[in-house]
Amino acid sequence: MIQSYRPETLKEALQIRNQIDCTVFAGGTDLYIRKRQWQGAERRFDNDLLFIHQLSELRKIEVSDEEIILGACVTQSEIEGDAYLPEFLRMPYRLMGNPAIRNTATVGGNIVNAAQVADSLPVLFALDSQVVLQSIHGERKMPTMDFVIGKYKTGIQTNEILTHVMIPKKNWTDFYYRKIGSRKQNILSKLSVIVLLEKKNDDLTNLAISIGCVNEKPIRDHEIEQGFLESGAINQLIDQLYDKMEGQNDKRSSKAYREITSLKLIKDYLEKNS
Amino acid sequence: MKIPFQLNGEPVVAETTYSMRLLDVVRNEFGLTGTKEGCSEGECGACLVFLDNKLVNSCMVPMSHVVGKKVETIEGFAKSERYQVIEQAFQNHGAVQCGFCIPGMIMAVENLLRTQTVFTEEIIKESMSGNICRCTGYQLIYDAIKTVIQEVVE
Ligand SMILES: Cc1cc2nc3c(=O)[nH]c(=O)nc-3n(C[C@H](O)[C@H](O)[C@H](O)COP(=O)(O)OP(=O)(O)OC[C@H]3O[C@@H](n4cnc5c(N)ncnc54)[C@H](O)[C@@H]3O)c2cc1C
Ligand code: FES
Ligand code: FES
Repeated sequence: MIQSYRPETLKEALQIRNQIDCTVFAGGTDLYIRKRQWQGAERRFDNDLLFIHQLSELRKIEVSDEEIILGACVTQSEIEGDAYLPEFLRMPYRLMGNPAIRNTATVGGNIVNAAQVADSLPVLFALDSQVVLQSIHGERKMPTMDFVIGKYKTGIQTNEILTHVMIPKKNWTDFYYRKIGSRKQNILSKLSVIVLLEKKNDDLTNLAISIGCVNEKPIRDHEIEQGFLESGAINQLIDQLYDKMEGQNDKRSSKAYREITSLKLIKDYLEKNS
Repeated sequence: MKIPFQLNGEPVVAETTYSMRLLDVVRNEFGLTGTKEGCSEGECGACLVFLDNKLVNSCMVPMSHVVGKKVETIEGFAKSERYQVIEQAFQNHGAVQCGFCIPGMIMAVENLLRTQTVFTEEIIKESMSGNICRCTGYQLIYDAIKTVIQEVVE
């Protein structure tokens, strides 16, 4: 018989997490699929469950002049519906799942699940976001792109809970986001691309590019971007991004299709806008 | 354990566990079988209910999320005037065949009306993107939804 824990405070949750080997349960939209059993039966989880969805400490969105802080249990529809958040952040969340799933699925769940096709990761990588991880011993922060190690793999410790995501504010003036799946909505992406630009008086002063679904985790490379800011050479940028691609054939679409399409989208956008 | 919540306007207490699905509780403990189980994984929308006025897939909601909250199932919504408008439109357009998907479809239409102010083709389709119908081919359902929007909004 598994135990379920439903603490009222984050402090209590961290104590439970420290004492017991348990599965953190946020929205459950990934966990329920993985644990599918038979109709009508209570879901059988093999581990004790620690519910965190109810923790008010993890449910806030805070926007200041320096940064945006998203609580781990903020839902996708809360981001979609928050007019204080920039469109380049809201759009990827709005295009995920379907309306009912977005009312349940959380920011933290998409990150910690770390699917190859997780749609929040490219934008969170591109924005240089950091994850905040807490345990009873304290808190540590690290870039989301380092926290995600690969397909379904992150650097979370068994006594930690991801509590927040911090996004530094920058002066992005334009962005491009494209998600391609074989149905319009409600499909795990085959491909997603985000490009953010900062221009001052027509000069490109900053740029961030991330490509999802091609490698085990999204591609993001600061050095390649810096090189492009200095040279302005689009073809060289595209060649360098291509060298970063290590995708494998899978049942969703062929490697070549994803690699070529994602690079073509980036090239077209930069040719028109950089 | 006992979990208190509000079900279709009435305070109730379920004898269940935190990890039991809301779907199983409304169907088995309260006998409200209008909420259906199709795919069990968030894709088909047959199990849609409102939880604190937000549309959710009850096949993916553990009772832990329901503690002290308001649940509205198709049986509760069916008592409203708006339900009558939607039911009438579905009937007039012949949008119902086997009927299995229809309670969920109706909940999604109601969610569309509650959450949107503009009703383009794209918005309607996005709002219904979590509902699957294996019989009708959707066109009759869309026609019915357009009629509902005309009557309710315009
Ligand atoms: C119909 C359907 C459509 C979907 N469409 C998309 C889509 O378009 N794009 C997409 O990217 N995903 C999609 N998903 C997958 C899923 O909805 C998302 O990954 C979602 O963000 C997961 O969040 P959750 O809160 O439900 O996670 P959960 O299922 O609660 O958790 C997922 C994993 O993360 C861990 N975890 C969660 N929160 C924390 C935390 N704060 N600290 C530590 N560990 C934690 C859990 O232990 C678990 O291992 C879809 C799922 C369904 C069912
Ligand atoms: S049974 Fe819940 S979405 Fe299909
Ligand atoms: S009418 Fe049969 S599934 Fe929709």
